Amino acid sequence: MNKITRRDLIKLFGASALGTGLMGASSLAFASKSAHIVIVGGGVGGAASAKYMRLLNADVRITIVEPEPKYIFCPGSNEVVAGFDTLETLTVDYNTLKSRYAVNIIQDRATEIDYAAKKLKLAKGDVLSYDKLIVSPGPDFKYGAVEGYSKQLAEGNFPAAWHAGPQTLVLRDQINALPQGGTVLISSPVDPYRCPPAPYERASFIANKLKDTNPTAKVIILDSKDDFIFHDVYLDFWKKEHGLGTPDARIEWVPKKAGGHVTKLDTKNRTLTTANGQVHKGDVINIIPPEMAGSFVRMNGLAEGDWAPFNSQDFSTKRDKDVYIIGDSAAADPMPKTGYIASNQAKVVTKAIQAELTGKEIGTPFITNNCVAMAAEDWGMTVAETFRYAGNHHPYEESYVMSDPTDNPYYRHIRAEVAKNWQRTFRKDIFS
Amino acid sequence: MKKLLLISAMTGLTCLLQAPASFALTGGLTLEQEAKVRSEYPMPSGAMLGDNCSACHGTKGAEFNEAMPPLAGMDKQKFIKQMKIYRANKFPSIVMYDVARVFSDEEIEAMADFFAKQKPEEWTLPNWNASIKGNAKENSHE
Repeated sequence: MNKITRRDLIKLFGASALGTGLMGASSLAFASKSAHIVIVGGGVGGAASAKYMRLLNADVRITIVEPEPKYIFCPGSNEVVAGFDTLETLTVDYNTLKSRYAVNIIQDRATEIDYAAKKLKLAKGDVLSYDKLIVSPGPDFKYGAVEGYSKQLAEGNFPAAWHAGPQTLVLRDQINALPQGGTVLISSPVDPYRCPPAPYERASFIANKLKDTNPTAKVIILDSKDDFIFHDVYLDFWKKEHGLGTPDARIEWVPKKAGGHVTKLDTKNRTLTTANGQVHKGDVINIIPPEMAGSFVRMNGLAEGDWAPFNSQDFSTKRDKDVYIIGDSAAADPMPKTGYIASNQAKVVTKAIQAELTGKEIGTPFITNNCVAMAAEDWGMTVAETFRYAGNHHPYEESYVMSDPTDNPYYRHIRAEVAKNWQRTFRKDIFS
Repeated sequence: MKKLLLISAMTGLTCLLQAPASFALTGGLTLEQEAKVRSEYPMPSGAMLGDNCSACHGTKGAEFNEAMPPLAGMDKQKFIKQMKIYRANKFPSIVMYDVARVFSDEEIEAMADFFAKQKPEEWTLPNWNASIKGNAKENSHE
């Protein structure tokens, strides 16, 4: 194990941050008195933590530990599957965080927390000392929940495509190569999982594409649930655009109560078996596995069950007050697992850390999730959720307004525009 | 989320009466319950509230390129007036009634103060670096 010294950190930060001194943090950041904020994960939660921490404090040292050199946003990846956007649009690098916000990026995988010594071990052997550790590694998939499915198959010909990336492109290409009149099977998981409306948005986008290119093809959603957000809007869309409920329906939704819960994959015969024993044959099979907290969270004793509990006021973990958990790995029900939520949790955590560092009281948190989804490029829907603090050992209290079916094309169209708009401003808010 | 749709069914009608121009469902806490929870704890700061707006309106409300109106540097009274009109559902909006309905007068004023003191400059312009530095310095040492 190599201990990272102050000199090493200066090297890691690089000449650009030091030379241009954008933050005024260049010299102060390395003073021994300044706190070191270490962040596990460079996704939305981690990047937002780094940026918003710097906006509050010019002096702290900020380090993100992230295995990947770039980040690909998940919002927008269904558009890539359907072929009306590209992964390039969704891809950002860490240069702005480095140069503009003087954030040190270490491309490695965090492995172990030494809680007593306040140190973080990395896969390549480095050890970082932290004053505050923000854990935001995203979720892991329970591939084993579907017998016969695996990470290897997801990375091969049976993409889950639930992290935007190579699997997104494999699924896109499979849809493009679908034989005339072929069948696409989508297995939608039990709650909670990343972006609740996304399986239904994906199914809609694929059906829209097939309507033009392959009109006798079919999309079947095999669901492990009986309900989902925007259920009524999606069913209305599928009826109006894809003949849902008729013999020629281009899309079919099989809820759990009708035997939709997928239990088994047969790769040789390309079939999915559901809980009631029914066998569905698919030319394209897209299994979205159920999720749990990322392995780093589980391996370091932060999870209870599948997710990591926290103190509601500042998202500090139950395990250690200087270690915080945000994003999809947090047991944050009733908050859904969205990037919007992760970014707002990051703002709560960074404000709490800043209050502590400056000897002030931690304020009352407040979190919203104003999210968008689409059924088609001109058919959008919105949800505005508010989460009020209701005590440190109590879940947040939720209230919301969400879209309902409508024949008003203006209502639908303007929400689709909001959705596209939101994706651009959101990417910029987190990484610019 | 599980309770979401059930509650929607019960409260949807109320919402339609309040908001005839919108095709929306409400759920979770009622506005009365929401106000009660809100009153039990100190008010979140203007920054805590205002930072929730950034995904659409840009960091510190400083997104000047998109369809959403920029909030950075907005006149305090104008912000208060507009938010209260949204909250009362007296002005046609896409999502702003949905967003504004939960805020108290005091919270709206705190957000108005927060946005009024932000520089009305596009976030990614190069001179933002100085603003970021100044903002961070102010927060570090105030």
